[in-house]
Amino acid sequence: MYPFGDLPGNLAAFCGVLRRDHAFRLGPGEISDAARVLQVIDLTNQQHVRDAWRAILGSSRRTAAAFDEAFDAFFFPGPQGVPQEGRPSVTGRRERAGRGEITGEPRPATGDPGADRDREEGEGGGAGTVVLTDDDEMQDGEPTRWARASYSPFEAEGIEAVEMRPVTAAWREAAVALMRRLRLGLSRRWRPARRGRRFDLRRTWRASLQTGGEAVTARWLRRVHRSPTLVVLIDGSRSMIGAHQAALDTAVAFASVTRRVEVFAFSTTLVPLTRQARDAGAGRRVHASLGRGAWGGGTSIGGSLRTFLRRHGERHVGTGTLVLIISDGLDVGEPQLLRDSMREIHRRAAGVVWINPLLETPGYEPSSRGMRAAMPFITTFTSVPDASGLARLARVVRLRR
Amino acid sequence: MISAADIRTRFRERGFVVDDAFATALQIMLALQKPLLIEGPAGVGKTESAKVLSDALQTRLIRLQCYEGLDAMSALYEWNYPRQMLHARLSESSGATLEQREAEIFSEAYLLKRPLLEALTGDESPVLLIDEVDRADEAFEAYLLEVLAEWQVTIPELGTIRARHRPHVILTSNRTRELSDALRRRCLYLWLPYPSLEQEIDILRARVPGLSAHLADRIAHLMQVFRELPLQKAPGVAESLDWAMALMSLHREHLDARTLEQTLGCVLKVHEDRAVVQEHQHAIDPYLADAPAALEGGGYGLATDFGIGTVVPRR
Repeated sequence: MYPFGDLPGNLAAFCGVLRRDHAFRLGPGEISDAARVLQVIDLTNQQHVRDAWRAILGSSRRTAAAFDEAFDAFFFPGPQGVPQEGRPSVTGRRERAGRGEITGEPRPATGDPGADRDREEGEGGGAGTVVLTDDDEMQDGEPTRWARASYSPFEAEGIEAVEMRPVTAAWREAAVALMRRLRLGLSRRWRPARRGRRFDLRRTWRASLQTGGEAVTARWLRRVHRSPTLVVLIDGSRSMIGAHQAALDTAVAFASVTRRVEVFAFSTTLVPLTRQARDAGAGRRVHASLGRGAWGGGTSIGGSLRTFLRRHGERHVGTGTLVLIISDGLDVGEPQLLRDSMREIHRRAAGVVWINPLLETPGYEPSSRGMRAAMPFITTFTSVPDASGLARLARVVRLRR
Repeated sequence: MISAADIRTRFRERGFVVDDAFATALQIMLALQKPLLIEGPAGVGKTESAKVLSDALQTRLIRLQCYEGLDAMSALYEWNYPRQMLHARLSESSGATLEQREAEIFSEAYLLKRPLLEALTGDESPVLLIDEVDRADEAFEAYLLEVLAEWQVTIPELGTIRARHRPHVILTSNRTRELSDALRRRCLYLWLPYPSLEQEIDILRARVPGLSAHLADRIAHLMQVFRELPLQKAPGVAESLDWAMALMSLHREHLDARTLEQTLGCVLKVHEDRAVVQEHQHAIDPYLADAPAALEGGGYGLATDFGIGTVVPRR
C-alpha cells in the first residue's frame, strides 16, 4: 500500500507530495521534527499522528486545511474521497452546505434550464479554482456562483486571461505622489531622529561614553507617520472592457512603488491579482490567468464586494486602508447589497475612492442604480484614464479621518 | 512526558474543553520545545488556552501583549538609566578605572527585564504568551526570531543571554495581517476554528455549571445558525458563554423570542447585524420556544436589553 517499506521513507515521500502538489514550504527542520515526534506520540493512533503532523508540517490556514486530504490520499488511497464529477468538491466546507437557504442571496430564476446548467458548470469549475488559488479561505464561493448564471448570459465568452504590463515612469510618479499625500495619524512607534519630541536616553548615554561620561550631544526620538495600505478592486465586467487597461495600469503603478497594496478583480467572482500586479510592477509582462467569471462576465458589484469583505476584509481592510474601486457602477444585482457592502467598507476603511471611467464621458451623471446606492459612502469620486488622471487623483484624494 | 489524553483531562478540570487536534498540538509543543502559533477567529479561546496551560503545568504565565509600535525596549530589555547615571556619579571618586566602571554599569543588575528576557532567565520553564502578534509591526517579528529559534537574546553591552530553561511559547494571531514565513517556520501551527455543535454544548456545560442541558443545547444550536449568517462580527465562544451567563442570571429556562430580543446584545456586537438576524428570522425560529403564557406579566419581565440603547453617557 505504501510506496516505501519504512517509516522515514514514507515520511520523506509524503513531504515531497505536500511540497509538490500542495505548495507546502518544508525544509529539513520540519521533516526531522515530524520524525522526532513519532517517538513521543501514540504511533498506533492514526488520528494522533495526523494531528501531530498537521501541526508540524502546516504553517497557515490554507496548508492546515489541505493537509488532511493529502494525508488520506497518500496513506489511505482508496475509493472513498475520490471526488465525483458534477458533485460539489469534497474540499468545500461541509458545514456550509445549508448556507444557501439562509443567506437570501439572489438565485437564478427557477424554470430556466439554461441558467441551471450554467450553475452546475460553475460549481465544478469553481471547485477547481478554489484549490488552485493562492487564497487562504476555501469557502464563500457559493453566493457568487449562484449569482453568475442569472446575471451573465454571455458567460462562455468571458475572458480567462488578462495582460498586465509594466507602467511608465509617469504612472509611477503619480502613484508615489498619491502615497505621499496619504498621511495617516502618527504611529505609536518611536524612531531615532535628529530632532524629535522625546529625549533618547539610551543613545545619549551610549554617545556620552565617547566623551568620558558627559552627555554632550543629546539624541532624540520622534514618532513616525503610519503609512496606509491600498486595496484596489477592479471591476472586470463586460461593460468595463474599454477601460480595463487603465484600471490594470493603475493597479500595477501602485504595486511597482509599494508593497502595501492588494489587488483584486471581480465581475461575478472575486480573484486576487496581487502577485501578478507585483510581477508586472517589477517590469515583467504578465498574463494573469483568471478563473471564469472574474473578467468579462456579468456584473455583481455588491455581491463581489460582500465576498471580498467576508474573505479578505478582516486582513486587508482596517483603519489604515484606502480602498480604490475601479468600476462603472453598472450593477445588475440588488442595490441594497451594494449599499450594505459599501457602508461596511466605508465604516472600516480610512477612505473609499471610486474611479469611474464613465466620468470621462461628457454629460455623464452618476445616476445608475448602483452608483446611487454607492454614492453616500464614497470619499473621492473621480476617473483615471491615464497617468495624469492618477496625478490628479493624488492631488484631490482625502481620507475620512 | 505529558500525553495528549492527560492534557485533555487537566484542561477539562479547569473548565477548558480541547479537542484531539489541540491536545496533540500542545503535547508536541511541550515535547519538541517549539513555539505554537494559534490562529483562528476572535473569541475561540486562543488566549485563554495559554492561561489554562500555565495553570495545568503549575508554572508562571508571562504575557506579552503586542500592539502597533511595540519595540525591543518594551518586549526584550531596557537599561535602568537613572540607576546607571546615579552609579556613574557616585563612583566618580572611587578610583576605579573607566573599564571597571563601565563593566559595573552595564551589568545584569542594571538591566530591566521585559517579558521576553524574563521568560528566558527564569528558574523554571514558564508559559510565554505572545498575544495578537499580528498587531505588532513586521519589524518586531525579527526580534522574535532569535528568541524563538535560538532561545537567546543578544544585548550589545552584555553579550548573549541563553535560556536556562526553555519557555513554552504560545503565539496567537487574529490574522489582521499576514505573518512572515520566517516566523511561521519556527512555530508549530494550529488553526482553531469555531467549535462544533457537540463541542460547544460541552464547553457551555463545563464553563457554566448551573446551565440546563436544554438551554445549552438551544444556545449552541443558535450559535451555529448565527455563525452561518452573513454577519459583520460572527459571535465566538466567549459570546455564547456570556449569553449563557445572562440567561442564567435572568432565570430563564426557555429561550423565547422576547428573551432573545432582550439578550441579543450579548451575542451581536454590531448594530447592522441585528437587521441581518431579523431578515433570517425563519432560520432562528425552529430553536425558539413559544413564550409561556404564565410568564407574561408574571412580574419579572425585564425592561433592559443589555446595553443596546439603554446606556446614556453622562455629559
